[in-house]
Amino acid sequence: MMEKKIMDETFTVPIGPQHPALKEPSHFRITVDGEIVTNAVVRLGYAHRGIEKAVEGRNWIQNLYMLERICGICSHIHATAYCLGVEQLAGVEVPPRAQAIRVLTAELERIHSHFLWVGVAAHEAGFDTLFMYIWRDRETVMDLLETLSGNRVNYSVNILGGVKFDINEEQADAIRKGLDYLEERTNHYLDVVSNDAMFLQRTSGIGVMTRNQAEVLGTVGPTARASNVARDVRVEAPYGAYFDYPANIVLEERGDLTARFVVRIKELFESYRLIRLILDTLPSGDLETRMPRRIKEGETVCRVEAPRGELFYFIKSNGTDMPERIKIRTPTICNMTSVVKLVIGHQLADVPMILVGIDPCFSCNDRMVILDRSDGYKQQWTWEALRQHGIDYYHEQHS
Amino acid sequence: MGSTTIMNNIPNLVALLIFPAGLFLLLCGLFYEWADRKLLAQLQNRIGPRWFQPLADIIKLLAKEEVIPDGVNPTLFIGLPIIALAGGLTAALYVPIVGLLPSYGLPGDLIITIYLLSLLTLCLGLAGSNTLDRFSLVGATRTLTQLFSYEAPFMLALLGPAFVARSWQISVITTFTNNRWLILSQPLGFLVAVIALMGKLELPPFDAPEAETEIVAGALTEYSGRGLALFRLGKGVALVIGLTLIASFYLGGVTNPFLFFVKTLTLLLVVVALQALLTRLRIDQTVGLWWRYGTLLVLAQWLVTIVWHGVAT
Repeated sequence: MMEKKIMDETFTVPIGPQHPALKEPSHFRITVDGEIVTNAVVRLGYAHRGIEKAVEGRNWIQNLYMLERICGICSHIHATAYCLGVEQLAGVEVPPRAQAIRVLTAELERIHSHFLWVGVAAHEAGFDTLFMYIWRDRETVMDLLETLSGNRVNYSVNILGGVKFDINEEQADAIRKGLDYLEERTNHYLDVVSNDAMFLQRTSGIGVMTRNQAEVLGTVGPTARASNVARDVRVEAPYGAYFDYPANIVLEERGDLTARFVVRIKELFESYRLIRLILDTLPSGDLETRMPRRIKEGETVCRVEAPRGELFYFIKSNGTDMPERIKIRTPTICNMTSVVKLVIGHQLADVPMILVGIDPCFSCNDRMVILDRSDGYKQQWTWEALRQHGIDYYHEQHS
Repeated sequence: MGSTTIMNNIPNLVALLIFPAGLFLLLCGLFYEWADRKLLAQLQNRIGPRWFQPLADIIKLLAKEEVIPDGVNPTLFIGLPIIALAGGLTAALYVPIVGLLPSYGLPGDLIITIYLLSLLTLCLGLAGSNTLDRFSLVGATRTLTQLFSYEAPFMLALLGPAFVARSWQISVITTFTNNRWLILSQPLGFLVAVIALMGKLELPPFDAPEAETEIVAGALTEYSGRGLALFRLGKGVALVIGLTLIASFYLGGVTNPFLFFVKTLTLLLVVVALQALLTRLRIDQTVGLWWRYGTLLVLAQWLVTIVWHGVAT
């Protein structure tokens, strides 16, 4: 079987589902001519966890914890999106102090996510020193999150109708001090990614996405903003405390990997500014309001800006204590098409860099899709049929 | 007759199997591999391995089953690692390891040594192309491409000292360079030699042939157990020999064990610092770097040396 593949005219390099470059399962078939990529196909779905179905069998409060576990890096923003939607359905107004704390945590989370990304991307480029240093500094913000919530990931800050904890002066000072250190380091890293000649060889002019392409391919988040597409939910459609603490959009024009580095690092400064502003002018008042156990019938759409881009929640309630349907779309799925488009014509060595350039989060984006075509074909399987298909498939592969 | 032949050959056997080549060199290679990893880890804000880690890795690998994948030529698969290591160990006989005079010497052994060192890379490339694994094939292509880019500059850089010593025999060159710091008169040659050594050993930033984020382990992806252990030992040996050659040619000679360790370890520190500072080059960038700058630099060095010699005599 192997020989047959080699004999083909095209040479296909499989990346994933198990591959050192990808810490999460997904499969890319990269067709190469020598070192040049001529085609790329992506296959997702290896980490489908059935969360959308699972939430239909749990009550509104349990689901908060379920949804927070969609992503280990941007857990808070998932909970925030869900809370905003449910509170909107229930017609509950969250106290301003709680809203501010939510945004503060979201920005801290953005800092840790962007630091993590710069490290991973540097590792893909073969610059392990930057990877190690930036992950060391990332510990500062992880410690801050732990001081606030007791957890390094899955902070569990939100509850329906408010937040779980307050911020005292001591914690505020710790955050301010941590931010001062991080800001100094961020200045250094901005200098490294925009001036280090060897590093620029691997990023400058690689994976260039024009503004038009970025719009057509439907990219979101920093990936889009690196191509000068002004797309940031915090600015376009503010939610929660972003009305009181407006965020500024960070744009870059070049659209290459360098721009994606620079956009994310510059966004860190924006996060530092927002956090300091919130700490200085934190509104006083309650942390939570009373939430009904059953949510009024209705449906809503909720959009928030996750570290990777726009996160979309559709929530439908049938008036009981469990949701009828929750649909989630994470930013990675929006950006994935740009990867298979951009790698064509580049070298094989650039593929991991371009892939990582969108900051992919695979297990977050795997959702089930049900085709309901006009000709009546429905892709619905019974358990027995699915099992039989598995057995047949196995026999076919191993005969 | 048999006993006298054996008696006469005992020094030779010791030289081949225990010291300076053979067992001692293998341990020395493991020690330098550890020093490399530990120093790099320290520069990268990591703790790094314990001193016996490379040895433990080798013992573990030797104890493991060697999986021979489908579709390979088994003879080549098993034989190539042995040839690679044997090449490295043979090269050591002509090199002043630990500051001792080379065990063997003949006119032109510098060329022999350089080619024995290249045997390792060649075996790597062949081992990669022997398998049907796609990562191995891409890795093997890159390994051989890289071989063609740094080999000529490396050789020219080592022939610089040979030229001023008027000999292609390593023992004659090292006698000449003793207390003569050729790094001062041939700085470009030294620079090219050090960087070419990094290319030879596929150290960062020249680790495109085994870039794990792209092609897993490159040419060695299918290797496990003994084959992998032998290749790793071979790389350690090549590291020691390469450092010894450069230190003895450019850094005022290594005439005793103390000087040997001080100079080679200092050189290793330079190599480690470069590893920590630089981003991995793509294979096309590596080739471009060598043919556009490396070769030209070393040729310029040669021109200066020749003209200077002409003027001086």
